[in-house]
Amino acid sequence: MGTFVETLLGGAAGTVVTVEPDYVVINDGVSHAAVDEISTVAAPEKVLVIYDHDVPTGRPEAAGILKKNLAFAEKFGCQYIQAQGVGYQYMVNDIVKPGQIIIGGGSHGSIFGAKGALGINVSIPELARVTETGRYSIVVPETVKVKVEGQLKEGVTIMDAALTFLGENKGLERKALEFFCPSLNQHEKEVLCSMACMTGAYTASVTDENPESEGQTEKVLGLELEKAEPMVMKPCESRESQKKAEIVKRESLHGMKLKAGQIGGYTGGTIEELRRAGELIEGKSLAWGFRLTVCPATSKDYIQAIEEGILAKFIDFGAQISAAGDHSVVVQGPGVMGPGEYLVTTGLYTFAGAMGCEDAQVYTASVETVIAAAVSSQI
Amino acid sequence: MEKIFSGKIWKFGDDIDTDTIIPGKRGTIPTIEEMKKYAFELLKPEFGSTVQPGDILIAGSNFGCGSSREQAATVLSGNGVRCIIAKSFARIFFRNAFNSGILLLQCDGIQDVCEGGDIVTVDVDGRTVSVNGKSFSVGAIPENLFNIVANGGLIEDTKRRIAAGIGKSEIKPLTIEQCRKKGYTMAEKLLKRNAGKEHVEPGDIVITRPDMMMIHDIYTTYLLDTMEKIGADKIDDPDKAVIVWDHCMPTAVAQNDYSHYDAGLELAKRYGIKKLHIGEGICHTIMHEAKYARPGDIATATDSHTTTYGGAGNFCSGIGTAEMAAALITGELWFKVPSAIKIVLNGHLQDGVMSKDVILKIMGDIKADGGQYKSLEFTGPAAHEMSMEQRFTVANMALEAGAKCGLFEADEKTARYYGMNLDEIDWICVDEEAKYEKVLTYDVSLLEPQLSCPQGVDNVHPISQVLGTKIDEVYLGSCTNGSIEDMAAAAKIIKGRKVAEGLRFVVVPATNTIFKQSMELGYIKTFIEAGAVICHPCCGLCCGMPYGLMTDDERILSTANRNFIGRQGTKKTLSYLCSPTVAAAAAVAGVVTDPRNLEAMK
Repeated sequence: MGTFVETLLGGAAGTVVTVEPDYVVINDGVSHAAVDEISTVAAPEKVLVIYDHDVPTGRPEAAGILKKNLAFAEKFGCQYIQAQGVGYQYMVNDIVKPGQIIIGGGSHGSIFGAKGALGINVSIPELARVTETGRYSIVVPETVKVKVEGQLKEGVTIMDAALTFLGENKGLERKALEFFCPSLNQHEKEVLCSMACMTGAYTASVTDENPESEGQTEKVLGLELEKAEPMVMKPCESRESQKKAEIVKRESLHGMKLKAGQIGGYTGGTIEELRRAGELIEGKSLAWGFRLTVCPATSKDYIQAIEEGILAKFIDFGAQISAAGDHSVVVQGPGVMGPGEYLVTTGLYTFAGAMGCEDAQVYTASVETVIAAAVSSQI
Repeated sequence: MEKIFSGKIWKFGDDIDTDTIIPGKRGTIPTIEEMKKYAFELLKPEFGSTVQPGDILIAGSNFGCGSSREQAATVLSGNGVRCIIAKSFARIFFRNAFNSGILLLQCDGIQDVCEGGDIVTVDVDGRTVSVNGKSFSVGAIPENLFNIVANGGLIEDTKRRIAAGIGKSEIKPLTIEQCRKKGYTMAEKLLKRNAGKEHVEPGDIVITRPDMMMIHDIYTTYLLDTMEKIGADKIDDPDKAVIVWDHCMPTAVAQNDYSHYDAGLELAKRYGIKKLHIGEGICHTIMHEAKYARPGDIATATDSHTTTYGGAGNFCSGIGTAEMAAALITGELWFKVPSAIKIVLNGHLQDGVMSKDVILKIMGDIKADGGQYKSLEFTGPAAHEMSMEQRFTVANMALEAGAKCGLFEADEKTARYYGMNLDEIDWICVDEEAKYEKVLTYDVSLLEPQLSCPQGVDNVHPISQVLGTKIDEVYLGSCTNGSIEDMAAAAKIIKGRKVAEGLRFVVVPATNTIFKQSMELGYIKTFIEAGAVICHPCCGLCCGMPYGLMTDDERILSTANRNFIGRQGTKKTLSYLCSPTVAAAAAVAGVVTDPRNLEAMK
């Protein structure tokens, strides 16, 4: 029996396969560039054009991108989706089914692995080609299995564990990661799978089969949850160097002053994370001069957070509530940072300019770390 | 400054608004030296690089209309402009220009005989301006205003007052009985009460002690800078000061907004200001929601839409940063008593027609300069039938007609909203014996929804003339129409429907209180389920911040108060203004649709 990626692609590692993906995703973040290159669409019903990044538009140029995407969707009869929140999370919740193959131009398509679907990130020319032909060809990658053991300590989250994994494991470029992680809940599996691609891996997935139970000889990586500690990913120079951003233990930055915090995206804006954050601010107050932005991941999360009283609680705390959407990179819009200001966010991009000014310093950490910063103005 | 001088002409047309003088998006550049390069960048891109000190601007009517931004005056002053001649000036610009050291002269006629590049000669004492061999008379400039210009502006004046030890003029406010004395307009009554004068008439200058002064974040950096320039180490009464972070909070423009945030905190700390609202919503809505601006009182703020609280019978008008600094330091502020227009509203509004339609209709009739320096005073059964929220909408937009203030009579609703007894404020009413410059009478029963069309607030058309126009984005929010009633009116239409394919619907409740109430009442859920995007309470797209900026040739329908060129996107973006019901109907239909006919769509 093949690994997850072998099963879904229909071939053993090293063989050439051609598949017809179930969905091709084009959004307003980076992958809209593919629209400029596409002249025909093989299967319009499989192409989803999603508006989830610059919500609401922060620059006239962003509106121009939407105009282009909308015209494209209308011309070829593709589905146009907006106002649903982060596209990945919305698709995991409402669209993707186990066994499906989803191709996109982002960096975290591996989130679909948590739902038994294969998420593949491709280049813009490749995305355009797949949209035009309806086919995707690849040499099936090798699978690396990871055994996730134990339980997270109090105050440590799956994000810390995922950052630990990223920091410890190099040389996983173009591999398919398969996590055996029975102790994680669905949300935690989504965070782990989506972040796993930051190693440069081809994709990630979860399995119910213990890789060590079959007496296999191949190398199995380990991730021991109880050893995970609060982690922080440091700023890096450019989007291209994001995968090389340094990941350090939170305690090594203890006392570092911060001006703002943000929780959002599927690492900080899902209902599970918002609930946790809501508990953490109980009885506390926002530090003087600290700006906290809360971005529910999807529209469903937003409504759920209203109904549970979480958003009202954050409003009273002094937080700013952003529209549901992907706010991990904001050129101009709510939550941006001024020159030399320090931000800690659950967003996964820390490159210069990711959240405003080029010289603003962006750190990635868990909801726990962001909320702790919000009451103290420091790490 | 000489009393006879000449300069090269830059010629402009009518209704040059402050966004044209300096675009809103440039308004947050921290220094005037940097900002001044962008003066007139959309209209005359060559201005910033070629204007010479001593050049003179000649314009048509209503120069400096729109936003109250003092920078419109200071960038001109920074570029060396010392004199502007126009048929008329917008009132806040008028104050700001004198306070920045620019001489303003009113003249009708010179515009027809000169071109840009000609040389005009001004004789202040001779009260003439001459060009191309023709001479025209201009109004007299009172000596004190000329001195402010000659001394380089209000800041120097205030410095002198501090150096001399601030001597306050003795003011004894009038009693209720004195306030009830008949024969005065509401503006006159409010001003004379505060100034302690038994009698005032239009044109009089009165010294008032504002009961509340509000600073909003977009001007905190300049205010802090001005306070430092003046050398003020304390203000007259910190309890009478409010700071609201609403234009730049959430921080959305990376290079600028943080500095406004920080400067606001610094002002609060340095001058002991305790009434702070950081990212809690729009200043004007907070001013009445928190009951800072009360009936019978005088309020002022660093924003043009300060006229809003006139809906509660509060005399309120926007001022510039330098004036705010002077007012905070001295506790005093001069006003010229405005003349007044009485607007009688009869009949009952139809379902789906709102107070916004009333003020848009009036705007279309009297135009952007029709209320110049005037107090618009609303009376009649339909005015009293309006809720407080609807009155605030009307008063808010009175400014767009150039009005000094827009005042509603105090009644039971006013008293209830403020938890006051009506007999404390019943004198805030229109007296039959009062002298009104003009009386306008409307039967609102006949009114259909109105739209202000591109590009000018006073380009108003009944909805029947605009039906079917395709819309790309709808914006529900602002200090004009971001109230709980506005959310309710829109939600009623949106419920059970979907936002049109591809149309972007952005909803921004005006304050946190309204935001939370809208959550409790299910409106936010209704909007989201229909396909709307909700943003945190703030000024948002209304002031051109990045909350749905548009590209070329796109059309936006907004419940806000301004549709100036370039304000909601590029200079080719087409902006329409309307009521919340018209906005909601368009959001679901994708085209301009009469909300009264929407049932048929279901």
